[in-house]
Amino acid sequence: MPLTISISDKAAKKAKEFANKDNLGDFGLRVGVKGGGCSGLTYTLSIDHEPQPNDKVIEENGIKLFIDKKSYVFLAGTVLEYGDDLNGRGFAFNNPNAKTTCGCGTSFSV
Amino acid sequence: MQEIVLNRITPLNEAQKRANAVFADKDGWTLPQSFSTTLEEYRAIREGAALVDRSYYGRLRIGGNDALDLLNRLSSNKVIDMPSGEGVSTVLTTNKGRIIDLLLVMNMGEDLLVITSPQTPSKVVEWLDLYTFGEDVTVEDVTEETALISLMGPKAGKILGTAAAEALPLYGVAEVTIGDIQLPVIRTDVLGIASYDLLTTRPQAEKVWAALAQAGAVAVGEEALETVRVEQGVPRYGREMGEEFNPLEAGLNSSISYVKGCYIGQEVVLRLNTYDKVQKHLMAIAFEEDSPAIATHMEIEGKDAGILTSVVDSPILGYALALGYIRTSYAEPGREVDVRIGDRLTKGKVLELPVKKA
Repeated sequence: MPLTISISDKAAKKAKEFANKDNLGDFGLRVGVKGGGCSGLTYTLSIDHEPQPNDKVIEENGIKLFIDKKSYVFLAGTVLEYGDDLNGRGFAFNNPNAKTTCGCGTSFSV
Repeated sequence: MQEIVLNRITPLNEAQKRANAVFADKDGWTLPQSFSTTLEEYRAIREGAALVDRSYYGRLRIGGNDALDLLNRLSSNKVIDMPSGEGVSTVLTTNKGRIIDLLLVMNMGEDLLVITSPQTPSKVVEWLDLYTFGEDVTVEDVTEETALISLMGPKAGKILGTAAAEALPLYGVAEVTIGDIQLPVIRTDVLGIASYDLLTTRPQAEKVWAALAQAGAVAVGEEALETVRVEQGVPRYGREMGEEFNPLEAGLNSSISYVKGCYIGQEVVLRLNTYDKVQKHLMAIAFEEDSPAIATHMEIEGKDAGILTSVVDSPILGYALALGYIRTSYAEPGREVDVRIGDRLTKGKVLELPVKKA
């Protein structure tokens, strides 16, 4: 399992598309987890312009990912993907640490 | 070398010694068992105004802009948007829907006061910390620096001295003056009987206790409290609450919102409720002839029917009364169970909670 967080080609392309449409300029994606959801943890994804002092910063496919240290523990190895088929449209986290996910798929536990 | 573990004492220990209390150990604390007789104290809770030291329950002060949001995501009741002066009871559950603890959460204005079970403040702090990522939340254990004094019983409200405090809704918070000390009072009804919890600082505790005793409240120890608790069917951590049980089994329905949305454990709790899959229920079991021990198994037609978790002598019934978890198929009032005491079998009868006079 690679101990990094990566973003797929398609997800990176989509992120840039959305950013250009909204004229966001220089931007990064803040990726993290928070407590809650049926299984214990849910993913968070937002636009951010600068990393915080203790963030891990990863750059792939032209996109900067900012991850706080505590979230990183739960996300190491995760691939941020973008789906547009019948199973779901939008950004999705493919997290090898997730042992169980809840029925609606938005939360997980490790 | 054996390590000697000293029990903790509450800020009221000296005052209770002066009142000739008999002490015993419970949940890691040395607490008054009784001050006079258990029956007199029982009557104060049921018919009068009882004075109770609840300082051994855990108290957390939780601050920060995201405090309500965090507790809402982690527990079973709706906590979000709770206005100042209001409160709620809510259950922290694991992702399998098992009980971490039952919490009373009150919005005190500046911050939240969370009352935990006696054994669990550190566990709750760790649980909250585990699920706090970037949120603006501060958690401080204030059990040691405060005291919690409770007035219980149908005449308890009168002693507070103001109609507004007496008429507080459940988990509502108000300011009262006891002696010359201003302090917050919370309506908690912890045993399903009118009760008001007064939060004092450690140095104020003795003065408030003395003023309430002076006003006519009767000091009550753990024996009478435990008796009323069992009759009322209120689950206690370590006996009827813990990770072996889920809130539906423990009868904590009033601490669950089925419409608030996701929280840790919600999917399991909702499924158990919707598909009627609760495996066992907390019930009362009366024993007319004998008094069985805690952890005794119950049998029906030779099959295991459940386990006893607490046993007292019930003044309402005049004989032994137990709380126990009974398999759902047997959990109906009137059912007879067999219990082994040594090599004898004795019969018990399942009763509805809270137990009422026959």
